Amino acid sequence: MNKEKISSQEIIDLVASKASVSKRAAEEFLKVMIATIEEALMAGEVVKIKNFGTFKLQWNEPRKSVNVQTGEEIILQGYHKVTFTPETSLKDIVNEPFAHLEPVQLDGDNDFIIPEKKEEEVLDPLRIFTEQASEIKDLLSEINALSPTPKRKEIEKKEIVVKDYFDVEDHRTIETEIIAPVEPIEIEQPAVVELPVIEPEVKPEQSEVFIQDEVVPELYEGDEAKAYVPEQSIEPIFENETDPVFESTPFLVGVKPRRKRKRWLWITAVLVLLVGCIGLYLFLPPANKIGNEAFAGTKAGMSYVKNVSIPGFVGSIKKFFSPELKKISVTETVVIPKDTALTDTVEVVEPVDSLQLLFDNPRVYNEFIASEQINAGSRLTIMSKKYYGTKDFWVYIYEANKERIQNPDNIEMGTLIRIPKLDPRLIDASNPRCMQKALELHDEYVRKKPSKSGSSD
Amino acid sequence: MNHKELIASMAAKMNAPKSVVADLLETTVATCTELLAERKTIGFQSFGNFEVRKKEERLSVHPSTQVRTLIPPKLVVNFKQSNIVKDKLKDIPHHE
Repeated sequence: MNKEKISSQEIIDLVASKASVSKRAAEEFLKVMIATIEEALMAGEVVKIKNFGTFKLQWNEPRKSVNVQTGEEIILQGYHKVTFTPETSLKDIVNEPFAHLEPVQLDGDNDFIIPEKKEEEVLDPLRIFTEQASEIKDLLSEINALSPTPKRKEIEKKEIVVKDYFDVEDHRTIETEIIAPVEPIEIEQPAVVELPVIEPEVKPEQSEVFIQDEVVPELYEGDEAKAYVPEQSIEPIFENETDPVFESTPFLVGVKPRRKRKRWLWITAVLVLLVGCIGLYLFLPPANKIGNEAFAGTKAGMSYVKNVSIPGFVGSIKKFFSPELKKISVTETVVIPKDTALTDTVEVVEPVDSLQLLFDNPRVYNEFIASEQINAGSRLTIMSKKYYGTKDFWVYIYEANKERIQNPDNIEMGTLIRIPKLDPRLIDASNPRCMQKALELHDEYVRKKPSKSGSSD
Repeated sequence: MNHKELIASMAAKMNAPKSVVADLLETTVATCTELLAERKTIGFQSFGNFEVRKKEERLSVHPSTQVRTLIPPKLVVNFKQSNIVKDKLKDIPHHE
């Protein structure tokens, strides 16, 4: 079909039937037409035919070439050539099958660098998170396996940091410093870390805090006691993370809501862990006791610990944790509404009108104005152009037929596509916002499939 | 020579009213356009061939900004003169 050649005779026949003239007349006309064009060209003129194109003469300079067989140099004579430049209308008609394609600007070098930088900035806190998460995971797995080797390195590192933090405080620092050398195990570190958390709130009740200090080291010994460790190390994470979130929510909500959501996921996960750990600890006090006694013997500085009875421990721990838990829950409830409230305000800032509502509400397609079968060369964009006047609104056709289309760029042959009836306001090509929305949707759907980026490169 | 001039000169040669010539020319153009849209090749004997060619997609780089752009494939109309015309044109001296 493509390579079929139509001869002059066929053209004559077609023209004759269309213009309802005799074939002879048509033939004569065509001959005269060609002769006239030739003549005009010979005279050095340019011939223009409306809706078709322009014929022009072009002089090709003589050039040197080589005889392929003999290797001799020959000179090709210069010659005139008739060139034809189609008019835009003809070009468009001929190019119809590819009219929906547009030049795609591939990401330039600049574009590549900027997003990378941004990603790094965003990733930094996230990386800390994942590191901590993996730590917690490791610890948990240790508990599960009841393996005796704790991760000293990481904990010791933390210890140092914590000490620096705590130097401001007098007796407590001393205590922790004493403990640090005596106890090679990591427990003190979490205990110390907790202090800052509690302090601002429980400052008057210093005794309680002290108990805390003492209790925590003890928890250390038994394997069950290790359950404590994750919980403790989690808490600093929680505190550190929530506070900045609090302060910076106004910015964060606007700029990086996704990151925040992740954070909340983490926090809830941490909460669950915390509760689980407390339960684990409370259920296993006897084992703890044994461990405590054995441990107490080894350290001189910590002898007073022995005097504290286990029920006392539990009580103090309960005391200690209940405010903590309360606090956590409070912060949570406070922050979450804040979060939603802020996003709400962000939306409110934009003008709320019927068009915006149309954009925001999920579109429901109940009415259909037509349906088309996919065959070779069918394109959603072409259908969109046919029914809506602009190819950019193909996204809505795609939305209406989502369940039948796996890949909008390559729809299976024979698929029946239903053309939805759309709100005329939604497909107003003269409204830049409609176009903007369509483009957004386009980006969303096209980016979904990973193959696109690969093929475009 | 523009459209009107072409019609005028053809009408003079055919001894036919301009309106008839104009109609016929329009019909011819429409027919050719239709055929080309079907990607068919049209051969006018002793004049040349109209042919639809596909230009493949290509990557173009803006020389100064280095922005790479993917140009989609497209179909274009190409005209190749026949050898008869070429020979005739040899008689035209090249001035310059």
